[in-house]
Amino acid sequence: MIKMSNVIKRFGEQTVLSDVSFEAKEKEIFGMLGPSGAGKTTIINILTNQLKADGGSHKIGVAPFETGLMLDEDGLYPRLNCLENLNVFAGIYGISHQKSLQALKSVGLEDAMKKAVNALSRGMRQRLALARAILHEPKVLFLDEPTSGLDPGTARGIHQLILRLRENGSTVFLTTHNMDEAVKLCDRIVLLHKGKIVEQGAPTEICERHNAIKTVPDLEAVFIEMTGVTLQ
Amino acid sequence: MRTIRAIFIKQARDTLKNRMTLVQFIIFPVMSFIMTTLVAKPAEDTPDSIFVTMFAAMFAGMTPLMMTNSAIAEDKEHKSLRFLVMAGVKPSQYLLGIGGFVLLSCSFVAVVFGLIGEFSGLELVKFVFILILGSVASVVIGATVGIFSKNQQAATAIGTPVFMILAFLPMLSIFNDTIRDIANPLYTQQVRMIVNESDMSITTEPLLIILANIAVAFILFVLAYKKRGLKA
Repeated sequence: MIKMSNVIKRFGEQTVLSDVSFEAKEKEIFGMLGPSGAGKTTIINILTNQLKADGGSHKIGVAPFETGLMLDEDGLYPRLNCLENLNVFAGIYGISHQKSLQALKSVGLEDAMKKAVNALSRGMRQRLALARAILHEPKVLFLDEPTSGLDPGTARGIHQLILRLRENGSTVFLTTHNMDEAVKLCDRIVLLHKGKIVEQGAPTEICERHNAIKTVPDLEAVFIEMTGVTLQ
Repeated sequence: MRTIRAIFIKQARDTLKNRMTLVQFIIFPVMSFIMTTLVAKPAEDTPDSIFVTMFAAMFAGMTPLMMTNSAIAEDKEHKSLRFLVMAGVKPSQYLLGIGGFVLLSCSFVAVVFGLIGEFSGLELVKFVFILILGSVASVVIGATVGIFSKNQQAATAIGTPVFMILAFLPMLSIFNDTIRDIANPLYTQQVRMIVNESDMSITTEPLLIILANIAVAFILFVLAYKKRGLKA
């Protein structure tokens, strides 16, 4: 569904991605893990054609409008309310405004539908951005650190929603530096460090390979073993 | 068509909630009304609608330009444009949506100007037509400035000198022949001169100058677009 082969990306003299290859299968949650600056967002930007790679190839098995995107910069219209924000995209996708209401309900924002975006908390904005990403029921969903900076309750709600999306047939590509999140959600993951893939596979398999199964799979320990640094 | 409509509605809602932008629409007709009703005419032989035509020409040179430019720059700054592009919105659809709304709003204000100036019948039609023609040129110039602006601050920095020349030179040319010669190739000067004529006759030469301005603005826009694109 999503494939990257030997991708290289440089910003000036600095190589931010070197020889990155992976494949995310249909209807799975595929995680990209690494600390800030590892190259996770650059990979999303390349996959969504917002950046050009300097080498290698990549493809997504669906048309661009069949993808949903949630980035750290939410791109919401601050003066418009939640419902109006979604209705802009409902209009573009040619779907009914009823879907906007459904999307707001699915992220628990139905009570705030008439609230202007500039009056929302960070967590609510993030949920609204997620609602916009899933509005048109995309086949592929890119989520860039979807729970970063959120309280545990809101993060749990987003986790449940992501799992529901997979059940409904979406392929989810998510980046995170939260190992617990990756273990809970992802079918397969890639560990990324300084633009290089250091390990990939199912979370439990990776942990078994590195004898990092304690009471729960300890991906943090694997990452430290592979890179010598922590994720924080 | 549905995409243009969605962008158009978004822009309409956003403008109605943006006081700073609304002021640009209101200030010129209000000023012309105050000056026409309260301030004595400069001389006996000057027409009653002198302030209406003066402010209308300034409006056509400034408001559509600044509105278009700031709408594009704001969408870039908030990264909203990136999400529109990801949703499959083509640059031409985006610009038609934004520009279409600005033009429609300017047409409405042109009618208000016409009513303040007590124009009627064919005179009113010619007045509105020529202001719309001037607004078309301003929208295209505004879009060009918007392309070169990364954010609203940059849009103001680039747009202000442009609109100062376009809006104020025709006004100053009333008092100085040299300035009039300099301002003659500008569409705003031709708009002012046409609306200042007692019968508001639209002769070939001023019409050609306005159309040439639109053509030059369009060429500049195409060049700017080829160079910078509508990068979010």
